Amino acid sequence: MRSEQEVNRAIERYSDTIQRLCIIHLKNRADTEDIFQTVFLKYALSSVLFENDEHEKAWFIRVTINACKDLLKSFFRTRMVSLEEILEQPAALPPDNRDILEAVLSLPQKYREVIYLHYYEGYTAPEISSILGKNVNTIYTLLTRSRQMLREKLGGDGYE
Amino acid sequence: MNDKLKETFHWIRADEVLKNNTRVFLARKTKGYTKAHTINYKYFVSAAACLIFLLFGGHWLYFTPTAQISIDINPSLELGVNRFDRVISVTGYNDDGLDLADALDIKFTGYTEAVNQILESETVAALLSDDELVTITVIGKDGAQSSKILSDMKSCTEHHQNAHCYFAHSDEVAEAHETGLSYGKYKALLKIQELDPSVTSDEIRDMTMKEIQDLIDSLLSGNKNETQQNTEDVQEHHDKGHGYRHGMNEKKNNISTQSKYH
Repeated sequence: MRSEQEVNRAIERYSDTIQRLCIIHLKNRADTEDIFQTVFLKYALSSVLFENDEHEKAWFIRVTINACKDLLKSFFRTRMVSLEEILEQPAALPPDNRDILEAVLSLPQKYREVIYLHYYEGYTAPEISSILGKNVNTIYTLLTRSRQMLREKLGGDGYE
Repeated sequence: MNDKLKETFHWIRADEVLKNNTRVFLARKTKGYTKAHTINYKYFVSAAACLIFLLFGGHWLYFTPTAQISIDINPSLELGVNRFDRVISVTGYNDDGLDLADALDIKFTGYTEAVNQILESETVAALLSDDELVTITVIGKDGAQSSKILSDMKSCTEHHQNAHCYFAHSDEVAEAHETGLSYGKYKALLKIQELDPSVTSDEIRDMTMKEIQDLIDSLLSGNKNETQQNTEDVQEHHDKGHGYRHGMNEKKNNISTQSKYH
């Protein structure tokens, strides 16, 4: 088991990433708390040795995505949350960014995941394929389609 | 779009309340970071309950006798047969029966094989060649299994002239066991006590079936001499009797005929 210091360091370092992944997967506040507890408890109890920070970060992303999917699949926990409720969460979001977040969240889940991992975390298609356990070509297709869909939703100009 | 998306996601942050709640939860769950692994008792208890149910259910299914085969010559044996037609218990009802039960290794074999082994065992084979009687009683509830066992027993013993197979309902057997006799000898005891009430179970426990039959014969012939009326009563009773008694009568006649020649 890991020490309290290690766990606190991980909470400081990865909480924002986990929060973003929770938003991507349409979770409400209570479910987000569940995901935080699940992911960090798994980290605290695991004895996985990470080769470097990137490896550790990829582990957190993979575990969070899996936890979110498990929660969504759970029969007792299928609570749908409206888009408005999600958008209220990052309180001081400027109007421009709010539109973009709204456009991203209106896409199907498989597109939201790759958009976040590619555009924010900066992962390449092969890296995303290993995190999500999907074929590389599938990731390329998802990225291309998600880009097109976003362009359509946001009006095209200025969005490559 | 890259920058705009990056900027948008950057606005999303985990608040301090969420982080603190997580820290409190982890401290509680790991008991102050001292507990190596938290056991999920919910799953453990369900798994244990299933295991116990399977063990007891399986034990009950396999080790509950659904029929019994009582074999009487002089060794008196009773075989408990389960619903899967396997012998699950071998009980000797007299000293010879106990010795034979110890000598044989028939537990968990099919009942046909078990009965064949008993009939072919040295002790029993010697008795049979000496013209002793074998009584095989299938004890069970009225049902397919009892009928099947009875027909199998009949085919098992068809090449033994002195063997007879009967069926008895399991309700009748409890009384037999109270007297410490196997069912075949208990039925014979009842018959003897009709003729001579002074005979006890202890006296016939170690007699062979042939000796018992001879005793019945002598009692019958004794009674015949006493009064014609008594004989008629007994005969009337025999006529109402089950296959068992008819079998015994046939045997009795055979033996009577044989004894005339000796």
